[in-house]
Amino acid sequence: MLVEYPKPRWSDKFLLLDLLEGLKTTLRELFKPKVTVRYPEERMEPADRFRGMFKFSYDRCIACKLCAVACPIDIIYIDVHDEMIEEGGKKKKIKVLDRYDIDVKRCMFCALCEEACPTKPKSIWLTTKTYELASYDRNDLYFNMQQLEYWDDRPKYTGLPDDGERPQIDETRLLKG
Amino acid sequence: MFDVHEMEVNFGPQHPSTHGVLRVLLKVDGERIIDAKPVIGYLHRGTEKLFEHMAYPQCIPHTDRMDYVASATNNLGFVETVEKMMGVTKMIPRRAQLMRVMLSELQRISSHLLWLATHAIDIGAMTPFFYCFREREQVLDLFEAYCGARLTLNCMRIGGMPEDLPYGWLDDVEEFCAKFDAAVDEYESLLTNNRIWKRRTVGIGVLSPEEAIDWGITGPPLRGSGVEWDLRRAQPYECYPELEFDIPVGKNGDTYDRYLVRMAEMRQSNRILKQCIPLIKQTPEGDLKAKISKVIRPPEGEVYHSIESPKGELGYYIVSDGKTQNAYRCHVRPPSFVNLQALPAMAQGHLVSDLVALIGTIDIVLGEVDR
Amino acid sequence: MNKALMTYLVWPVAKFLIAFIIVQVIVAAMNWIERRLLGLMQARLGPNRVGPKGLLQIIADPIKFILKEDIVPSSAEKVAYYLGPMLPLLPAFVVFCLIPYGPPPTFTVTRVNVGLLLILALTSTAVYGIILGGWASNNKYSLMGGLRSAAQMVSYEVPFGLSIVGVLMITGSLDLVTIVRYQEINAWNFLPQIVACFIFLVSMNAENNRTPFDLPEAESELVAGYHTEYSAMKFAFFMLGEYSMMIVNSSLIVTLFFGGWTLGMFGFGLTTEVLKGMGLLGGLIGATIFFVKVMLFLLMYVWFRATFPRFRFDQLMDLGWKFMIPLALANIFVTGIFILLGQERLMYWIGIVTIALAAFYLFKPKRAAAQKVVHAS
Repeated sequence: MLVEYPKPRWSDKFLLLDLLEGLKTTLRELFKPKVTVRYPEERMEPADRFRGMFKFSYDRCIACKLCAVACPIDIIYIDVHDEMIEEGGKKKKIKVLDRYDIDVKRCMFCALCEEACPTKPKSIWLTTKTYELASYDRNDLYFNMQQLEYWDDRPKYTGLPDDGERPQIDETRLLKG
Repeated sequence: MFDVHEMEVNFGPQHPSTHGVLRVLLKVDGERIIDAKPVIGYLHRGTEKLFEHMAYPQCIPHTDRMDYVASATNNLGFVETVEKMMGVTKMIPRRAQLMRVMLSELQRISSHLLWLATHAIDIGAMTPFFYCFREREQVLDLFEAYCGARLTLNCMRIGGMPEDLPYGWLDDVEEFCAKFDAAVDEYESLLTNNRIWKRRTVGIGVLSPEEAIDWGITGPPLRGSGVEWDLRRAQPYECYPELEFDIPVGKNGDTYDRYLVRMAEMRQSNRILKQCIPLIKQTPEGDLKAKISKVIRPPEGEVYHSIESPKGELGYYIVSDGKTQNAYRCHVRPPSFVNLQALPAMAQGHLVSDLVALIGTIDIVLGEVDR
Repeated sequence: MNKALMTYLVWPVAKFLIAFIIVQVIVAAMNWIERRLLGLMQARLGPNRVGPKGLLQIIADPIKFILKEDIVPSSAEKVAYYLGPMLPLLPAFVVFCLIPYGPPPTFTVTRVNVGLLLILALTSTAVYGIILGGWASNNKYSLMGGLRSAAQMVSYEVPFGLSIVGVLMITGSLDLVTIVRYQEINAWNFLPQIVACFIFLVSMNAENNRTPFDLPEAESELVAGYHTEYSAMKFAFFMLGEYSMMIVNSSLIVTLFFGGWTLGMFGFGLTTEVLKGMGLLGGLIGATIFFVKVMLFLLMYVWFRATFPRFRFDQLMDLGWKFMIPLALANIFVTGIFILLGQERLMYWIGIVTIALAAFYLFKPKRAAAQKVVHAS
């Protein structure tokens, strides 16, 4: 398919119609409504699947370390130790989570850890719609276990898909503009 | 008798119009360029070495960051190469293939919109920049609704796709496609017939077809010179054989032709998207991954596979030793790196002001050139 | 003696000051208008944080300029460095006195018989500041940028002047007031002299280093502009000079081609007699009409900046010398023929037909031009 040069007619060249076309377009654009979102007074809410800040749930985590293996940058630091507990008269060996730290400042939010987590619902998830993670101190961005579960100094959203479960129906945002 | 006053000027790594950190060493005589030598390496991050230490699924987010403007096609290239090595190319479910094609074409539109925005603003037309970014926002919103990120998508997996389409995504894509043609008309009304634009781009940076093939140039610069070579037609992958689209080809090989080729490519991508939507509605939901083991360990051997990214032929060459979960060697053939070689040949005899137009027309992304 | 002092000293100075203040207010407003309008045309908002709709930006910018650190390169030529930014301002301020803002004698500061010639001569002196600024910075690239800008301004002076000759031939006088009076008796001068109006428009843009001729100021070119080494207030003076020259040029085109302070043609409408009949109110109405027209042309500057790409420098010079000057000479020739035949009124049809054709083709429903590219070969 040959792209053709649009051939200008004599009237186009003489009457400067190509330049006037451009002027008409900009003038028309002047009167259209603008799509600018005036941050920080107005914010755009990210989509439901948006990969934002982590949230961790100690109760659901089975300390399998699959997330640490899956991370491409190895920023999840996990320490476990084994413990024997009594359950229904039998001795069982379970793993107890000692340390679950994530170095968020090096994270690229690729969600491979979330994908690798085998529990249902997941123990680590990124769909928290929080993207404003900047902080003044570099050490603020190293989250240990408690902080991962209970962080509250970043903007949080309500009405999220409950506790990391992927909802059955995902509504996309309407395209604006 | 005449002494040639050659001046060596540095078109530095920090400059508003070298897209990224590209340094060009110019030898100028007054304002005519005698030689333009690109110096690269300012964005080298050792991606290929990193690939040797990561398992195959972990490499996918890193491929995103090479050509950060068009990351879905980077993912696609890598994923297809590994699948070719494992021999599962035929087993990818149809729904996954259609989703991959749709994401690639959306990515092509987004990449070409960015190219048009920056090319126009380098030549002086400020408004197409903002108009293009407004449309690009809509594409990025579509990406965000699907995979959760706007720029570095990480949206494909070896063997298929990670998750299914959200409810209502196809309707949003249909809405976007309906409005996109009018948007391209708007950009064309500002630029295509404009005599100032034509003066700045016609006859600048002419590449003859033989020269282009000799340099190894692929993608819109090659098609702008008149060679009808598109990997989606020449070496079809995914479900491109059953989709109907034209391949725009230029005539003279100058900047204006490359501009027209990319504008036409945007329209053709729109056409492909419109065809995919009804096709994907017919496939059963949820059937997204081929039956391969969770642990990706390809057999020993080497493979090279390439796809048509918005910038040209993106190729991956992976050598595997059959025993470990990482590649033994993974080399990327970036289209921008090879296309950049033509810059000295194209810039001969032009003025310094044209260099800016030339860098824009080859459409390089330094993340890809330097990896 | 007192009456002479009043007529020849006090009143002109007072009128000049009033006009000067009005023009400076327009310059300040122009800063806001340009950024806001440019933004709105580009599908974004302009400044909108500083005040309601960004209006306090007009105050914030001068405060920033005054408080900025004044960096002077140590190897710069001191006298020329400090003189450079002042020079483009002087012709602008002087020319304000010569342009009639309303019906004479109250609303013209002075009335010179050869006003047009004087204005042309004075606006040509704006080049000095650019050259001095570029050279005194002791920066190779500033010098090249300054020389390019100066070459551009000098070479577009010629079409600037030649396009006015057509107006002179029809009107028969160099006095700006006479030209405006002529336009209200016959049609506004842009109709018979539409080619000259177009040339004047293009030369105006080139004189002011505005898009599409703003190569010396563009950031994406290699060569930096003449004002690279200037910071704070001196840079502000360059910008002030540029905006003042824009207003001067707009006033000129309004006076020469678009009827000045009148809203009438062929003796009907708000002509000078009608305005004088209303006394001072009429004069004020005339001045308002004039400034509204000047604002429209300033908006047109911004409109051009939003729409067009930039010319390359050699293409710019080609356009000036090889296209504009022959066109202006041809215009003079054709006008002369029409005057010789005594059929000056016939020239109005040239303008009317051109505008009608352009409007017709522009607003015709599209012949699917953009889709031509999609047809298979």
